[in-house]
Amino acid sequence: MKIFRPVITYMLLILTAVIVFFPVVYAFFISFMSGAELLQGNFIPKTFHLDNYQKAFERLPLAHYLWNSLFVSTVVMLGQLLVSALAAYAFVFIPFKGRNIIFFIFISTMMIPWEATMIPNFLTIQQLDWINNYQSLTIPFFAIAFGTFLLRQHFLTIPKELKEASDIAGLRSFRFFWKVVIPYCRTSFVTLGAYGFLTTWNMYLWPLLVTNNDDARTVQIGLKQLQTQEMATDWGVVMAGVIIVIIPTLILLFLGQKQLQKGLAQGALK
Amino acid sequence: MKKLLLLFLTVSLLVFITACSSDAEGEEPNEDTAGEEQQTEESSESDDNNEEEEATDEKVEAVFWHAMSGGGQESIEAIADNFNESQDKYTIIPEFQGSYEEALTKFRSVGGTEDAPAIIQTFEVGTKYMIDSGFIEPVQSFIDEEGYDISQLEENILNYYTVDEQLYSMPFNSSTPVMLYNKDAFEEAGLDPENPPQTFEEIKEAAEKLTVKDGDNTEKYGFSILNYGWFIEELIATQGGLFVNNDNGRTEEATEAVFNGEEGLRVFELIDDMNKAGTYGNFGSNWDDIRAAFQTEDTAMYLDSSAGVASTIENAPFEVGVSYIPYSEEAERNGVIIGGASLWMSNGIDQEKQQAAWEFMKFLQTPESQAKWHIDTGYFAINPAAYEEDIVQERWEEFPQLKVTVDQLQETKPSAATQGALISVFPEARQQVVTAMENVLQGTDPQEALDQAAEETNRVIEQANRANQ
Amino acid sequence: MKSATEIQGKSSTRIVTKWKFMYWRSAILYLLPSIILFSVFLFYPLGKTLYLSFFLTDQQGIANVFVGFENYQYILQAESFHKSIKATILFVLYTVPTGIVISLFLALLANEKVKGAGFFRTIYSSTMGVSVAASAVVWLFIFHPSMGILNQLITSIGGTSIDWLLHPDWALVSVAVTTIWMNIGFSFLILLGGLQNIDEHLYESAKISGASYFYQLRRITIPMLSPTLFFVTTVTLINAFQTFGQVDILTQGGPSESTNLIVYSIYREAFVNYQFGTASAQSIFLFLCILIVTILQFKFGERKVHYQ
Repeated sequence: MKIFRPVITYMLLILTAVIVFFPVVYAFFISFMSGAELLQGNFIPKTFHLDNYQKAFERLPLAHYLWNSLFVSTVVMLGQLLVSALAAYAFVFIPFKGRNIIFFIFISTMMIPWEATMIPNFLTIQQLDWINNYQSLTIPFFAIAFGTFLLRQHFLTIPKELKEASDIAGLRSFRFFWKVVIPYCRTSFVTLGAYGFLTTWNMYLWPLLVTNNDDARTVQIGLKQLQTQEMATDWGVVMAGVIIVIIPTLILLFLGQKQLQKGLAQGALK
Repeated sequence: MKKLLLLFLTVSLLVFITACSSDAEGEEPNEDTAGEEQQTEESSESDDNNEEEEATDEKVEAVFWHAMSGGGQESIEAIADNFNESQDKYTIIPEFQGSYEEALTKFRSVGGTEDAPAIIQTFEVGTKYMIDSGFIEPVQSFIDEEGYDISQLEENILNYYTVDEQLYSMPFNSSTPVMLYNKDAFEEAGLDPENPPQTFEEIKEAAEKLTVKDGDNTEKYGFSILNYGWFIEELIATQGGLFVNNDNGRTEEATEAVFNGEEGLRVFELIDDMNKAGTYGNFGSNWDDIRAAFQTEDTAMYLDSSAGVASTIENAPFEVGVSYIPYSEEAERNGVIIGGASLWMSNGIDQEKQQAAWEFMKFLQTPESQAKWHIDTGYFAINPAAYEEDIVQERWEEFPQLKVTVDQLQETKPSAATQGALISVFPEARQQVVTAMENVLQGTDPQEALDQAAEETNRVIEQANRANQ
Repeated sequence: MKSATEIQGKSSTRIVTKWKFMYWRSAILYLLPSIILFSVFLFYPLGKTLYLSFFLTDQQGIANVFVGFENYQYILQAESFHKSIKATILFVLYTVPTGIVISLFLALLANEKVKGAGFFRTIYSSTMGVSVAASAVVWLFIFHPSMGILNQLITSIGGTSIDWLLHPDWALVSVAVTTIWMNIGFSFLILLGGLQNIDEHLYESAKISGASYFYQLRRITIPMLSPTLFFVTTVTLINAFQTFGQVDILTQGGPSESTNLIVYSIYREAFVNYQFGTASAQSIFLFLCILIVTILQFKFGERKVHYQ
């Protein structure tokens, strides 16, 4: 058994990894194919020429879109971390009256379908004159119940003794927050940060509604612009667009993986 | 207090973003934000424009919202560039706004205000909505004022957008359905590739012969239609059938759907019969899927938009034939309704901007622009003179099939049926028809499916009339 | 003596009140940013949605005919809305349990102490980095009736090709598969974090007493992981109820409305049909559904959750 276990583990690891990663590889291969090659149903392209990528960049200011996405996602991530941490801290460490009710109200916001609030929100953005601005893409997303929920769950695991000890040591609550809570829950902060960044990066319908021109547009809309309705879609170019869109996030994940793991390991050490 | 500090931090973060985003408005370049560092060519170009403007100080800028992505977007931008260079009074700025639905959603909230674009491209089924919205200026007023000669334009296209003898919007990307078929498959099946089936019965017979089966697996279907309401509307209209009452809503406000009449039933029965016989291939509601199915020889005949014909011919590894859409032998052939979209002019904006929009619309209708548009996208030339342009003639020599699409349009008999329906809830009605079609493919009785769709459409018509009194 | 205790009692209540007030004030300060943003971008629009659900709206989207509960009555009896509800429930059942089981399986695998586990962790979490728009486009191609790799594989081994997105039964499964794939990365990452937080000593003592892998899994891993599992379940559940992008790109709600999930149906009603009244009624209905499910989940689920 002892010898078999790693073998089985590796087999399963490789098999599942191939399946999970397959769609990305598939898109990567298609992005090098011409229309005719696609129709033949090849899996691996005959030649790796970059025509499709060139076309994608020629058609749209993709670099500018990428920058917009990066900027917007980073700002939303930071905003979410700050706002959620503040709220979660209040829910866990301040025994104020009505805490449970307010927490429940917070959680219930998670259930409001975003599409349901979109029309009034769009009108609000318009009245604020935020159309085509970075504000409209960032500020409405700073407060997320999910983040508060995630951090609260983790804050709850902080031993009460720590809080008591810090109270005795006379730490002000902000110092406690900064010196104890954040280091203790680094894992959750990393996780929430990654989540916030990626969900913002992936936003699609909202950026389309609140941007009218290329100034603040994000890269997901670029992906949409490569597809067509009544006329024929150039699948190779679309897939090239897909690869261009996902590469930055994948790189970020690959790089962040180490950081993420460190954070996770730290959480495990306690 | 630290808490106040924290609050201050939050606020300052908000302020920071506000400051950063001012450069996103693209009006005043803001040097001190991080965003500037990564400025791309695109935004520096727009800065150049700004400077130029200050120099000449006269060009009127008019924004043009469109819903064309891919190749259409490239072509629009090229035409707008041509226009901007052709004169020095106006600048047209084309801006992509997502699908027709999404563009219209935005327009609904800015319509009638200063923020509205000068021109917006809206799909044909939004015509009634636009007329009733009160946000638009009929182009007829400019035509009358200037005595612009619209007789040079294709009559069958103008008909769609003419309501109460007023041309409300300028036709732009116009297309009609045609039938595409695989000539090689016709030969293999012993059919005459130069004589494609013309009536529903002939389609059925030909499809029978064209279908290739390998055990349970159907390798090639005889005939397919995209699950898109437009094709059903067209197949009803070519029999002279109406979609809604009151002459398709053209003489008076439509109050009832009539697409479940005999003409509609014939279409649905055709689909049902062939589906049951196993000769009808269902390839869903995605344009690309059905084209791919045709090009990979999974289906031998299908209906497509004239805008997609050229690229299909180019990509298909076999000889492609193009013919008119089929009609029922129990009816006469009436022709086709125009599809696609048209350009609308906003009211409530500067008169200068309206003038810019009008100049651009006229520029679009010149044979040169139309020829370029026709060749780039496959949409019709609104101005038939474009077909005489050299580039078009060359193109037609290369793809003689393209001429069929134009002939079919020009042979269309003008009537309420081929003029197309005018209802404000058209998008929903179209969706209902698609659902009915899909239900039939799953075995629902054709009449039942149609009646259900008609009933649902009647309900929304009634509701819309109630709400808009 | 008596009065002294009274005074003491009074002042202690005063102190308590003062403390309560202090708590309140600091709590509000901490919560203020969230409260402001929620009010402006969630509660206000939700209120407006509720208001609109009692009206018919005209073409500008302005409420102008009060109809009471007519919109609700209509959606509750309309067949298409029944189909939406059915599709949504089925979709939740397809995606949530399967997605969590797969992610848990992957997390357990990747948590094994073998060389190169980091590489596999990166691969598994990678789907998190693929946006909805991008992954739906890729899957659209995978499911493609004639060019897609899936049908090519099936036919090459002699099977009958499947109408993935074209048959009402398969279409929902296909959208579910896409969704599960998209969610794997996130669930995996959270579950892996949870696994790594479990105290090693627990396993060591279990190993000493000779417990099998599955015994350990059942008795140690799952109970210790329960808060994380609970969290992941809640989030995927709510996300499943709110699925939109995949449906828009893959099926547009068809065929025969089999993938017309509630959120997509709301989108169609509002943005294609301009029936803000019925769209709002549907939104409120969806909101209530999710609310009830989440309350039930908290009531019955959190009981089983084992906090350290």
